[in-house]
Amino acid sequence: MNWPRGFRAILFKEFLTVFRDRTTLFFMFFPPLIQIVAFGFALDSDVKHMALVVYDADRTTESRALVDAFVNTQTFRVTRTVNSVEELTATIRQGRAYAGLQIPPDFTRNLRAGRPAQVQVLVDGSNSTTALQALNTALGVAFQRSLGRLLTETGRTTMPIEVRPQMLYNPAMRAPNFFVPGVIGTALQIATVFAAAMSVVRERERGTLENLLVSPMSPWGLMLGKLIPYLCISMTMATLLFLILRWVFWVPIHGPIPALFLAAFLYIFVLISLGLTISTMAQTQNQAMQMSMTILLPSIFFSGFIFPRETLPWIFYAISTVLPATYFIDLMRAIVLRGAGYADVARSLFILAGMGVVWFAVCARRFQRKVQ
Amino acid sequence: MRMIECDGLTKRFGTVTAVDRVSFAVEKQSIFGFLGPNGSGKSTVIRMLCGILEPSAGTARVAGFDVTRETDQIKGSLGYMSQKFSLYDELTAAENLAFYARLYGLRGAAERQRRDELIALTHLEPYLNRRAAFLSGGWKQRLAMACALVHKPSVLFLDEPTAGIDPVARRELWDLLFALSSSGMTLFVTTHYMDEAERCSQVGYIYMSELIVCGAPDELKQLPAVNPAGTRRLDVNCDRVTVGLQVVRRLPGVQSATVFGQAMHLLVAESVSDELIHATLREAGIHGADIRPIAPSLEDVFVALTLQHAGPA
Repeated sequence: MNWPRGFRAILFKEFLTVFRDRTTLFFMFFPPLIQIVAFGFALDSDVKHMALVVYDADRTTESRALVDAFVNTQTFRVTRTVNSVEELTATIRQGRAYAGLQIPPDFTRNLRAGRPAQVQVLVDGSNSTTALQALNTALGVAFQRSLGRLLTETGRTTMPIEVRPQMLYNPAMRAPNFFVPGVIGTALQIATVFAAAMSVVRERERGTLENLLVSPMSPWGLMLGKLIPYLCISMTMATLLFLILRWVFWVPIHGPIPALFLAAFLYIFVLISLGLTISTMAQTQNQAMQMSMTILLPSIFFSGFIFPRETLPWIFYAISTVLPATYFIDLMRAIVLRGAGYADVARSLFILAGMGVVWFAVCARRFQRKVQ
Repeated sequence: MRMIECDGLTKRFGTVTAVDRVSFAVEKQSIFGFLGPNGSGKSTVIRMLCGILEPSAGTARVAGFDVTRETDQIKGSLGYMSQKFSLYDELTAAENLAFYARLYGLRGAAERQRRDELIALTHLEPYLNRRAAFLSGGWKQRLAMACALVHKPSVLFLDEPTAGIDPVARRELWDLLFALSSSGMTLFVTTHYMDEAERCSQVGYIYMSELIVCGAPDELKQLPAVNPAGTRRLDVNCDRVTVGLQVVRRLPGVQSATVFGQAMHLLVAESVSDELIHATLREAGIHGADIRPIAPSLEDVFVALTLQHAGPA
């Protein structure tokens, strides 16, 4: 096979420099590992054992049973009991509890008399995730207990309508199952795009690029020679991340493993091509860094990693369709969680492959054989 | 045969003209010394001649090929050693050499043979397994030289090859340059050192983007601008030379006076006799001065031409 001129030389040199440049290697591996561990543990939207402050003015078996019902949901734990409404609101205001439960003195009396027994629930609305969960749980508890009483009164033992939900693919509703496959997408992205962009810009800054330009090397030889070593490193990184996904976060991989690697391979190919394209435009490492960030930031917000793409305004949705991370994160969730096979994800795979080929052609064509 | 030829070569960066209508020619086997202050456009000229910077106007041919249209043909016949030596710090000397050899398409036996030749030429043998980052300036320069010669170029461009290296390495580099030139190579060297300029077969001086003079060092010293009619150059060797300089400068007819080691160099009108200088120095208490006529140095040439060039503006 006839390789582009200079390819073998660049490949030989890149492999040697990449593995000897410990700093770059460290910064390629370390941040993604931190990222997956941090995000995997921290991005847990299941709220459990929220601090609850209770003001029980009734002090009866019934009122205590209501507090127990709140605690039994596992959403709340009682951190404090107080003796006035002022104390109750102060505790929430100081951030020492997310929710407050106030049971009035006539609670049991009203309940027994068949009148609506009112219970006040105060929720700290300054954090929407915990507020929503607290609200839903509180309403659920009230609803369930009301139904229980109604059933006893009417003498029925079963509900008129019974919904039996079955959660497919992530039955335990574990947050890591949902987030960690996405984190792999963003973690791979930062390290790979930066490293690829820097590798050419560094030659420009050190002046070695001039020597390459006066040689008969072709732009394709340079780019291919840069692509392959970084592809190897990033694939190693991807493997490591998959192992963490499986054996640290215990996320079961339902789909074919080779499909997972194929998706990672195509994704990394796009990322390196993007990085190399950036390197054809940036004159300094600083510029390369800023240009990389303009791709990386939208990827975090618009790729479906955190917010569902469907809820995005049309302009951001449009942006999301050109981000490689969108397709990779989609592929990860499909293969890992839904057990999708090649046929199910063919579209995303083809899109990534297409993006890779296009960007690689762009970087080789854009590469100026002149200096500025 | 002319190996480098440029005509009206111009480079503008936006509104700044970095190189303004530069024309010169370099014959085969000669060593062309290119001088000028920092920022005068030396590196820009080299980059255009190497085909990696597009000229804004004018033409240039290197080894018979047009630098803008025949860039691919040029690449095989030119070597380039850039200012910073441009080596890969993470690679050893041997690996740097191997990289450049492969970049120029050398493989297998041909690569090994060329490698051995270059090691013999530059005496790099003891440092082959040392990383380029840990080589001293002189050895870096030899390695960069070996890398630039790997494809046996017919024209070699060296951008300040002796900047920041010790005098021994500097002399050895020049020995190597003479050897290369006598083997048929054409060399284009930029430098700040006047003694290096004196060794060149031809020098060009670029000042404020313009090539203000070009020719053999001996020819340049004969230029009328350097030797104005009715003047002579003198070397005055005396005690307390700085005191002497002050009094001599005040003499009418003394056009320039500079200290040169233990002596001073004067450019004086013919009306200023040796006797007058002796008398002036004696008044200042300096006795027994030794006055001899001298030829201008290249430095005198460039000083005279720079002043003349800046004068009318």
